[in-house]
Amino acid sequence: MSTHFTSEILDNGIRVVTFDTPNSSANVLNLATLRELSTYIETITADRDTTGLIFSSAKPAIFIAGADLREIQCLTGEAELRKMIMLGQLLFNGIADLAIPTVAAIHGACLGGGYELCLACDYRIASNDHSTKIGLPETMLGLLPAWGGSTRLPRLVGFPNALDLILGGKQLAAIPSLGRGMIDAVVPREHLIRSAVQHIFKGRRSRTHYPLVNNSLVVRVIASRARVKAMKMTRGHYPAVPKALEVMVEGLSKSLTDSLTLERVASVELARTSACRNLIELFFLRERAKRCHAMPNDMQKSTFRIGDIGVIGAGVMGAGIAQWVSAHGHRVILRDINEDAVLKGMAGIGDIYRQGLRRYTFDSASARQGMDRIYPSACEVPLTRVDLVIEAAVENMEVKKQIFQRLGESTRGDAVLATNTSALSVSEIARGVSHPERVIGIHYFNPVHRMQLVEIVLGEQTSSAVTEQVLQFVQGIGKLPVVVKDSPGFLVNRVLMPYLIEAVSLFESGASIWEIDEAMRDFGMPMGPLRLIDEVGVDVALHVATHMSDVFRDRMTIPQTLLALMERGYLGGKTGLGFYIHRAQGDLKVNRRIRRVVTSNQARHINRKALQKRMVLVMVNEAARCLEEGVVSMPQDVDLAMIMGAGFAPFTGGPMRYADSVKILQVVEQLKGLAEDVHERFAPCTLLRDMAKSEQQFYVQ
Amino acid sequence: MTVAAQRLVIVDGVRTPFARMGTDLAELDADELGRIAVQALLGRTGIDPDLIDEVIIGCVGQPMGATNVSRVIALRAGIARHVPAITVSRNCASGCEAMTQAYEKMIADHGSIFVVGGVESMTRYPFVFRQTAAAKFGLLNKAKTLGRKLNAMTRFRPSDFTPKAGLLMGLTDPVSGLNMGETAELITRENGITREMQDEFAATSHRRTIAARERLTEEMCPVYIPPNFTKVMTEDNGPHTDQSVEALATLTPVFDRRMGTVTAGNSSQITDGAVALLVMSEEKARELGYAPLGVLTGYSYTGCDPARMGLGPLNAIAMAEQQIGLTVKDADIVEINEAFAGQVLTVLKLAVSKKYASDVLRRKTPLGEIAGDILNVNGGAVALGHPVGATGARLILTSLKELHRRKVRRALISLCVGGGQGAALWLERV
Repeated sequence: MSTHFTSEILDNGIRVVTFDTPNSSANVLNLATLRELSTYIETITADRDTTGLIFSSAKPAIFIAGADLREIQCLTGEAELRKMIMLGQLLFNGIADLAIPTVAAIHGACLGGGYELCLACDYRIASNDHSTKIGLPETMLGLLPAWGGSTRLPRLVGFPNALDLILGGKQLAAIPSLGRGMIDAVVPREHLIRSAVQHIFKGRRSRTHYPLVNNSLVVRVIASRARVKAMKMTRGHYPAVPKALEVMVEGLSKSLTDSLTLERVASVELARTSACRNLIELFFLRERAKRCHAMPNDMQKSTFRIGDIGVIGAGVMGAGIAQWVSAHGHRVILRDINEDAVLKGMAGIGDIYRQGLRRYTFDSASARQGMDRIYPSACEVPLTRVDLVIEAAVENMEVKKQIFQRLGESTRGDAVLATNTSALSVSEIARGVSHPERVIGIHYFNPVHRMQLVEIVLGEQTSSAVTEQVLQFVQGIGKLPVVVKDSPGFLVNRVLMPYLIEAVSLFESGASIWEIDEAMRDFGMPMGPLRLIDEVGVDVALHVATHMSDVFRDRMTIPQTLLALMERGYLGGKTGLGFYIHRAQGDLKVNRRIRRVVTSNQARHINRKALQKRMVLVMVNEAARCLEEGVVSMPQDVDLAMIMGAGFAPFTGGPMRYADSVKILQVVEQLKGLAEDVHERFAPCTLLRDMAKSEQQFYVQ
Repeated sequence: MTVAAQRLVIVDGVRTPFARMGTDLAELDADELGRIAVQALLGRTGIDPDLIDEVIIGCVGQPMGATNVSRVIALRAGIARHVPAITVSRNCASGCEAMTQAYEKMIADHGSIFVVGGVESMTRYPFVFRQTAAAKFGLLNKAKTLGRKLNAMTRFRPSDFTPKAGLLMGLTDPVSGLNMGETAELITRENGITREMQDEFAATSHRRTIAARERLTEEMCPVYIPPNFTKVMTEDNGPHTDQSVEALATLTPVFDRRMGTVTAGNSSQITDGAVALLVMSEEKARELGYAPLGVLTGYSYTGCDPARMGLGPLNAIAMAEQQIGLTVKDADIVEINEAFAGQVLTVLKLAVSKKYASDVLRRKTPLGEIAGDILNVNGGAVALGHPVGATGARLILTSLKELHRRKVRRALISLCVGGGQGAALWLERV
């Protein structure tokens, strides 16, 4: 009957239980595996010959990935969820109560429930492999660690440390985990079992005590501060964060059993929230993007792998792209037209690698190897060795066409030619290039090393073989691709632009910079729209706005304020002045001088709800229009792209899911109202009106 | 030795700008310099790195942190792991040795495509503790108890903490005990080469290098200087635009302060730099569709008196004549490495000396006159610097490019080699 675990007894009576889910590269905890493991533990409890117990995994990169989210999603009703939590808690208690010493020998991802199992063991040792990642990311999914994590971690590493790990949902590599006390030793993978045996010889371990930080006074002081900070950051949209905090605080003053009960009750409560449902859904959207294909399975194998890459343009985007692909093992030729431009690009790349060193993303050897893979050149060099060129030069159609003409001649006929344009037409760029079927858009977002989303833009002639190659390439370098049609602004900028323009026009009609941005942060955006314009750069925003207002004249106009800012050189973060005053240190301050530039003829107070309504609905409307026009085919694509590419409030599940949650009919009514009161640009699009009429939703319930 | 049937061609080459010790390239170790040159070579030629059979790099003072620096350079420059790499040293002729070894490997059928070159970071030569101090450090390391540790510590003397400069040791001939500069003093005074002649020669070297600035950049790749990338180096920083005989005359001799004639101004500069060349059998070049820069006609290495190592070129050129049949008259351009201005001048003088021919070279006629207007036409190490391991390869690159500019046929390259050797290579434009 045992299917997921194998067991082996070493000479000294130590039993090694290996988690090895058949036909899968991952191990997860679900009803079946929990039950199976429970049976194991029961036999071991009864078995007097076993002298110690070691948990390990047979998977190359995963120890235990956590709870089976699919199963949790399918659970009907709270009783079932409670039962599942109970099952895990009892199992882990059983492990913790074993009379023999227990060790978790961790290699690969050890997350959520996986690490909670480890917490029930006496010792935890981990391999120093780069695939080893340890953490309790439950709050990122709107849940909390409920298989003893919220209870045992504060007792193991101290309350302040646990707070940081659980509320931040952090996933740490082996060495930093050791530093935090989450594990007891780090050894090479090959020595894991030997080291585990050595730990077993030490015998069962008594609990660590933290009289200094885990006493009720200190805990309460720290907790009250954390509460304020969490509230400021989440603005009440992520109930899991305060909930996890409360459970940890309460739990520390209670017995283990009572603390586990708190976990259980809180978890069931959280699972009910829409934030939790949406965040889990988002998790699946991301998983889906990691695996999506452009061609049927049997045809994918013939496509060749992309090796060397040429990056044309060493500006912020070009340098960011070169850094990212070089860090993922690709040799890069980084080209620009003069030495200073190349130098700046290399400086930017060096900075990103150094940041990565500080954050333990790389060790110094792999950072240097990454840097070494980049060949910077300010003069033309042969491109016959590259399989892919990514162009990230200035956003000017003539320049791009020239570059692609030249690339068409200087590359192999089977090399993929990609543009990182954020607004220009890929089909137009491809016109006149030899083999235009290999021209495609690979649109990264800024900063490249932080933004996981990549838009894959299909030109009229782009072949599906090239699309498949590029999809595999993008997935291989750890980005999330969304395939979009070649139309102005593609998806993210297309939806984002009307929102930014709306924010500026609200400012022009008298709303304050601070109120506009705060309104959207209240809604759940990581930063307000005007601040975002500053970050992107007023010049860049204006460029995209100009391009799009050309195409969508009826509903987008270039805001005069942006022109005025541009004229005065207020370009945002890069010049230190924009809507805000940007200083190297200290808080951001609103740039009051702008009011002198743009005087409003109708200074009036608009409340935050009304501000939100206008800015959010304009996005929902434009996003729906993208679906209507087939820019992307599914609401899932819109939601993933807007959350990952534009920071659309993740707990809402994205603009389409948000529309569902407020009801399409409502959305249409409100848009109609705005169209009458404010401007006809708010008029709901056909898709929304039709859906309202037929009472449809973007997602089937 | 003569090069028979299978010929070795130089497809292309590139070098970093040369930087005086402690200046622009001071932060870069030899392996980093070499990586930049080899990466640029691969990039410019577009050669598939997997096709390379071996990487051979000349280096005299290998970095302690990158022994067999050639292998480190190869891997860091993106050459496949299965390609072997070897570091070679024939002191000042190491950069030539790298290429001639490639030829020998090709003839022995051990490969047909090679990345060769030379690299030196003279800035990064280490300072070393004296052996007495090293022994004491060893004792201290072994001491386990506090008492023993204290005991070991008290053995140190202040002199133990004065390190020896690796550079100085490297530039001293251990057999004769003479510093390179002292060997130059010896041959110039024996042959009546005056301070004025040397300074005049040095000023010419600077003038020619300055005039050749644009031509020289053709053979360079810019160095974007890590780790901060606030500066890009695109030209050699050794040549002075305003170097004059008068200014040179004010310098005090370094090796014989009272009576000497060799100064810092008329000696080669101490410099950092790297050169990389892509060489292969003529057949392979044809197969891959390359139009090579030139072909290796033949070469000779010989020994000479270590105390008079500066005369090495005479012996080597004579031997090459014997082996290949080419005399200095056949050369359209000549490069004699300017280890010291006085040393090159001595070579020129003895090249027409019957006495030297009969006494040392054991031949009836002198080598023949080497005309000033075809010698070191783009200046030399006095102005550009002499990163010892790299210079030989630079001379190959510089002279081949010059053959093309002048549309002439043959170049003769010669170097004196510390330790008492000479090198002579004949190259031909194809």
